Amino acid sequence: MKIPIEFVVNGEPQALFVKPNHTLLDVLRDDLGLLGAKKGCGEGKCGTCTVIMDGKPVNSCLILAPRADGSDIITVEGLADGEPHPMQKAFVEQGAVQCGFCTPGMIMTACALLDEKSDPSEEEIRLALSGNLCRCTGYAKIVEAVQVCAQRIQQDKGA
Amino acid sequence: MPKIQIVGRSYPQIDGMEKATGRTRFASDIKLAGMLHARVLRSPYPHARILNIDTSRAKALPGVKAVVTYADTPGIKFGPRSDDWTIFADDKVRFCGDEVAAVAAVDEDTAEEALELIRVEYEELPFVESPLEALKPGAPLVHEDHPGNVAAEFKVEAGDVDRALANSHVVCEESFYTNQTYQAYLEPMGAVADVDLAGRITLYAGNQIPSMIRVPYAKALGLTLDQVRVVLPDYGGGFGAKMETNTHLVAMLLAQKTGRPVRHFNTRHDDFIAGNPRVPMYIDIKLGADKEGVITGKEVKVIGDAGARIVYSQIIVATACYRVDSLYRFKNVRAKGITAYTNTVPTSCFRGFGNTQATFVLESAMDILAHKLGMDPAEMRVKNSIGPDSVSVHGWKINSCGLKECVEEATKMSGWAEKKAKKRPLKGIGLSCCNHVSGNRAFAREFDGGAGIVRIGRDGRISVYHGESDMGQGQKTVYAQIAAETLGVPLDWVSVMQVDTDISPWGFGSFATRGTLMGGNGVLAASKDAFIKLAQVAADMMESNVDDVVCEGGRFYVKGSPDKSLDFKEVALNATDSNHGSPVMGTGFYDPPTVLPDPKTKQGNISPAYPFGCQIAEVEVDPTTGKVTVTNFVAAHDVGRAINPMALEGQIQGGVAQGLGWTLMENMVTNKGKVANANFLDYLIPTALDMPPVEPKLIEPYEPNGPYGAKGIGEPAINPTMSAITNAIYDATGVRITELPVSPEKLLAEMEKLKGSHEG
Ligand code: FES
Ligand code: FES
Repeated sequence: MKIPIEFVVNGEPQALFVKPNHTLLDVLRDDLGLLGAKKGCGEGKCGTCTVIMDGKPVNSCLILAPRADGSDIITVEGLADGEPHPMQKAFVEQGAVQCGFCTPGMIMTACALLDEKSDPSEEEIRLALSGNLCRCTGYAKIVEAVQVCAQRIQQDKGA
Repeated sequence: MPKIQIVGRSYPQIDGMEKATGRTRFASDIKLAGMLHARVLRSPYPHARILNIDTSRAKALPGVKAVVTYADTPGIKFGPRSDDWTIFADDKVRFCGDEVAAVAAVDEDTAEEALELIRVEYEELPFVESPLEALKPGAPLVHEDHPGNVAAEFKVEAGDVDRALANSHVVCEESFYTNQTYQAYLEPMGAVADVDLAGRITLYAGNQIPSMIRVPYAKALGLTLDQVRVVLPDYGGGFGAKMETNTHLVAMLLAQKTGRPVRHFNTRHDDFIAGNPRVPMYIDIKLGADKEGVITGKEVKVIGDAGARIVYSQIIVATACYRVDSLYRFKNVRAKGITAYTNTVPTSCFRGFGNTQATFVLESAMDILAHKLGMDPAEMRVKNSIGPDSVSVHGWKINSCGLKECVEEATKMSGWAEKKAKKRPLKGIGLSCCNHVSGNRAFAREFDGGAGIVRIGRDGRISVYHGESDMGQGQKTVYAQIAAETLGVPLDWVSVMQVDTDISPWGFGSFATRGTLMGGNGVLAASKDAFIKLAQVAADMMESNVDDVVCEGGRFYVKGSPDKSLDFKEVALNATDSNHGSPVMGTGFYDPPTVLPDPKTKQGNISPAYPFGCQIAEVEVDPTTGKVTVTNFVAAHDVGRAINPMALEGQIQGGVAQGLGWTLMENMVTNKGKVANANFLDYLIPTALDMPPVEPKLIEPYEPNGPYGAKGIGEPAINPTMSAITNAIYDATGVRITELPVSPEKLLAEMEKLKGSHEG
């Protein structure tokens, strides 16, 4: 039995039939071909599947697809607006990307943080990112990238 | 010569934006038309005889395309280093997680459902979990053809150890244990396999050894080498684990059976229980020094746990026996290593390859000796440090060596002297050094080295082909920098191509910290060849001599007259047209000046270059909980000349994070033969909250054997981390850590004991 759902993904309305045991991550990856969100564990423990749902970062592997009905989802593919998002630029420039498997999820969490708080402290950044595992970088350059991005957004606003 | 412009500068990864925008297609993102999905049935027992397998109900499930067991394989024994593998368990299962059967179905749900319909009758057998137990007489045998469960033995000796130890002023005699840890790359292992009408298999697998992996796989499937093609997509980390695995062979076998592409990726749980975790080791050491703190002799005995089959554990144990002997000016050393089979998950490479375990032990023992002598541990390291242009006790030729500078810089950066002088309760500082290789001839036996192909198209676009493996460390960017520098063009004119064994040179891949030096030298040689060929065309166009032609910023000119220059792209077009469409092809290879060590004495230079490092940790210990917090960390590493400083810093910070995780949090717990914490909730790795500031420092002596003077960094980045932290814990508490990881409960108990003994 498949269940109909309607939701908005990266600004585009979608109407689909989903299996009730499938997750939002399955739907994004398998039904919509949005492969940016990754499946690092499938059990809510790594953050590689992070997307923004109604303004909040969520582990999409923990959200059953029917629950996404009526929601507004942003994935890493939806961040760039003609050109890459400042967070994407900061991650690349600061060397915060190694294998890159954690990167989409990490960037979504970081963007959600800055939406909530434009000028977070280092401690707040580390706390916000603590649900997103990275095995390559040791986090130093990731934290720097978020700081650089926050500064740039502040400066742009000031200008 | 034009000045060096691209090598030595920090560049973001050339494909970084692809990754940051979600465009990169990782191994687990690959979808092929008609692709089936596979799941594996794994053994629930550590040791059991298989009496019967009934797959009939699974086969009858709609959507199931194939169900396979050992009976469907060619039944050939194979393995990367020891023919103790089969694709599925033959007559018995040897660890919890051993592959018993697999299903290919139209989707994962169906494959999963089919697994539940497979009926296996087992007869449970007595099992053995610990290598110490396994070596005892009468222990259950993991492999009947390996009496005593001895998988391998290794011996090495130089000088007169007994005399040296007997004549020492101080001797440290101590037993250590290093536990099993999991690489925890964020993308689980897996592959997509496809097969053509002629039976030729293409394997899309994120793995560190795309060329070498074909050899055991071809053997396992009864194929010739040319029938196995490997294509290397981008993949999410490896750290040593992503080498040979039955996970790939399951996909290959099912593709053969169904004639369709098959995708098989481990779930995270399967990856924990059937990956290739770190080799646990029991290491006993005797280390002596004279009055002045000069090391006299060293003896170690290593017992390593292979698990149920050999991946690379026996050479990892061998490495633990003697690689660290080239850190100091040892004269008398002896080591014996035994690798034992147990009924646990097969163990293998994890960043450091045995040298991590050995470094933890040696550098703890050095700390013990320094304290016995009342000597500054940093001074003792410098006093014994091996130097440039020297030969170590095993005949290893050290060219560049910045070890002393590493210690000097790290102590300066951390304020070592003041902090050591001023005792602060429950706060401590600890130091550890390390050495490593940049490639290891003893591992890549047929030959060692690296090769490259550089193609310059009619449009002037440069494509670099290599046979190594970028698991995220930034290897592609380093190769692009080397090619761009050598050809004299901007970095973004260069593409580094995906490894495809039909096109790329044969490479040994990414392990032994060899990528930059071996692969980089291969790319350098090919770039030089391409340059000469194109420069010849430019010289003809400018009516000059090829030796006088240089290229800078994408323009050729004759030395001394940069104002009259030719566009590189125009020269490329001309070159291709005059060759009737044939692109300019540069090929080249690097043959390192190394030898296979003598089988008996183990003498012989195994690597063209040796990196070194020194790390210093500061810790705080909570007296009520025993919890250790690392508050500050500095890491000075001799990397040869840096090709990409930012990437090197990232390697160091990442290596330290893995080492910190190992020391304070990570432990695979086995209970009744089963991994008891096979998920990221129960097996914790460091998060952003667990990491202190880690300040890297690059020490850059020119390495004559390295491409543009460079050496490797991958593994040295973790080698000293554990002992830097545990030596700091000693400084803070007086408790000597001899077992990893450091658990708060145990540390607290030891602290209580010490208190008791002081008061009493
Ligand atoms: S895949 Fe969702 S948290 Fe790991
Ligand atoms: S960059 Fe590899 S896991 Fe974060």
